[in-house]
Amino acid sequence: MSAILEVENLVKKYGDFEAVKGVSFSVEEGEVFGLLGPNGAGKTTAISMLTGVLPPTSGTARIGGRDITTQMEEIKKFNGLVPQDLALYPTLSARANLNFFGRIYGLRGRELRERVDDVLRIVALTERADEAIEKYSGGMKRRINIAAGLLHQPKLLFLDEPTVGVDPQSRNHIFESVLRLNRERGMSIVYTSHYMEEVELLCNRVAIIDEGCIIALDTIKNLIALLGGGVIHVGLQQVDDALLTQLSALPAVKEAVLLPQPVAPPLAEGEESEVKESEPVAAGEVVKIVAENSQQATVDVIGFLNDRDITLTSLEILEPNLESVFLHLTGKKLRE
Amino acid sequence: MNALNIALKDLQIFFKDRGAVVQLFLLPLLFIAVFSGALAAIGGGEDEDTRTLLPVVDLDAGVAAQTLLDSLDAAGGVRVERYAQEEAQALLEESELARVLTIPASFTTGIADNRPVTLRLVNHPDADPEETEAVRLVVEGVAQDMSLESQIFASLQQMGEMQANAPEEFQVFTVERTIAQARNQFERSRTQPLVAVVQTLPGQPEGEREEMPDAIQLAVPGFTVLFVFLTAQTTALSIYGEKKVGSFRRLLAAPMSKASLLAGKMIPNFITGLIQTAVIFAFGIIGMRLLGLTPMTLGDAPLAVVLIAVLVALCSSGFGILIAAIARTENQIGGLSSLFLWVMGILGGCFIPLFILENFLGPLPKIVPHYWANHAFNDLLVRGLGLADVTTEMAVLLAFTALFFVIGLWRFDFD
Repeated sequence: MSAILEVENLVKKYGDFEAVKGVSFSVEEGEVFGLLGPNGAGKTTAISMLTGVLPPTSGTARIGGRDITTQMEEIKKFNGLVPQDLALYPTLSARANLNFFGRIYGLRGRELRERVDDVLRIVALTERADEAIEKYSGGMKRRINIAAGLLHQPKLLFLDEPTVGVDPQSRNHIFESVLRLNRERGMSIVYTSHYMEEVELLCNRVAIIDEGCIIALDTIKNLIALLGGGVIHVGLQQVDDALLTQLSALPAVKEAVLLPQPVAPPLAEGEESEVKESEPVAAGEVVKIVAENSQQATVDVIGFLNDRDITLTSLEILEPNLESVFLHLTGKKLRE
Repeated sequence: MNALNIALKDLQIFFKDRGAVVQLFLLPLLFIAVFSGALAAIGGGEDEDTRTLLPVVDLDAGVAAQTLLDSLDAAGGVRVERYAQEEAQALLEESELARVLTIPASFTTGIADNRPVTLRLVNHPDADPEETEAVRLVVEGVAQDMSLESQIFASLQQMGEMQANAPEEFQVFTVERTIAQARNQFERSRTQPLVAVVQTLPGQPEGEREEMPDAIQLAVPGFTVLFVFLTAQTTALSIYGEKKVGSFRRLLAAPMSKASLLAGKMIPNFITGLIQTAVIFAFGIIGMRLLGLTPMTLGDAPLAVVLIAVLVALCSSGFGILIAAIARTENQIGGLSSLFLWVMGILGGCFIPLFILENFLGPLPKIVPHYWANHAFNDLLVRGLGLADVTTEMAVLLAFTALFFVIGLWRFDFD
């Protein structure tokens, strides 16, 4: 397989703010590639540069062998974009919307009618094609939003958070459509999301992006392997270097490090600190323990602390998934 | 081609929005109906008789008295109304009438016998002195004409009788022929007077009424200009809407240039502006006639009217891009549009005739395109001028259009 998309050190700046800080990655032909990151990580900005919506500040990318800085007009015929927003005209029917976007891509007459019917079949909305979009449910609007990006049969499709605000049934339908487009039509797909379940389900490889940087890029299996035998978060009243060294020396533990605590915003005058019931209270500090074997490491750590009369304030065993990988790499949750 | 696709889509969306259609097409017609009625009521109407009332008591009721009354009515400046002697006397005492002219019973016979007759003009003490003087001049002028006519006829009659005694070879002009010639001369002096009498009203400069257009001639172009420019707000809102729902990003990602995209957003404004002009002008010509009111006319240069309409629609489209470039939110678009478009409309003579505005605002109205559009329409529709006479207005409108485009494109945020 050859790369359909090669990104090299792509940067986007708005004044002093750097939204995308020199990202590089490639997508193979026929691959479903995931860009996973929290809101504001720079996913949409990166896609905007790759689809010609925004010019890059520096760096470049090649799509289908063409350079985005010099050959974007040709690339646009090759690319498809399904934006995060419902980029449709609510008072027009689904068919009128699709006819319009089809004509924008140069489709006319019989070919246009056939393509519109085809994409309506893909998103299973043929029956309601003549109703105004404003009468659709959120999920149906999302499906038409995807359909509009498929009309010109792009080789490379960018799906930017396509399931935001969608009911489970429509979400499943979108997943099926994405997989069918990839398997049956060989379409290469770049799928951005902050839902790790979606990326795990759909993507072959994933780039984890945070604060404009790609912090990890690999297959899902390899990314999860970064967790080793598992990761445990142990809350303690007080932690010093000697304690970390002793924890690291336990047989089932690979590494014990102090987890950087999120900095809480300063309280306004007269404002009281509020603790959410659903979140564990970590009085003191949290130690991240990377284990050879998470079950054995848990037993060893609890025994070690009991023997020394050290009070445990919280204990969290991370699931082996991308959410844990993100937490492991950044110390933040994906949806923070 | 993509610009046309976008334009067609936008027009499709626009005509589904009944509120917008009402605002841009029906509202101006309502404004025209109301304002033309109001302007007519304060003196802009063509049918109102503004001549000074001259109440007349005709005690003679003969041919000469009728000739006098017809001459007074035709002289301009006064409007003759007959009253009975007692009624006129009573109304004069009650200050209901400002004056009364009495024609004596012996007027016709006196004229026929070439005897002196006296017309009596009684003025109320509170009557406007200038009006009184004007009426006196009109009555004296007509009376002097009648005296002169009567005296000349009598002289000619006398000359004819004297010529009757001369030898036949010297009788080139018969009495009948000479009198007929004299009558013809008098008729010409009435229809083509050598000296015209113009009555002026206090505080009203002479000649001003000649320039004041009919209410409908004023209201139709004024509100056309106002509402065509108001479509600029629709363009700005349409662009904002595309950005808000994300379709602008989708279009930017499609194989089309930014210029095509902006052109596509402008064309509906341009087309809507032209349709608006056609609808409003059609209402001024046909609708007003159907309503039983004075219809407007298109002047002597309809092609020039069309050209001005095209330029106004183009200028409005440019202004739409400018608003879209400056405003960042829907509220800002609404605020800026209200501020600029209505203020420019008021300043540019869409509500108040330009010659009145310029009396108290001086050259200030010239800073807005509405002024030049209204000035051009007034030149063509009211003053009956042609294309060559509105080239300055056309050039200024084009300059405004270019200015709006340049600033709009410079400030436009495609991100």
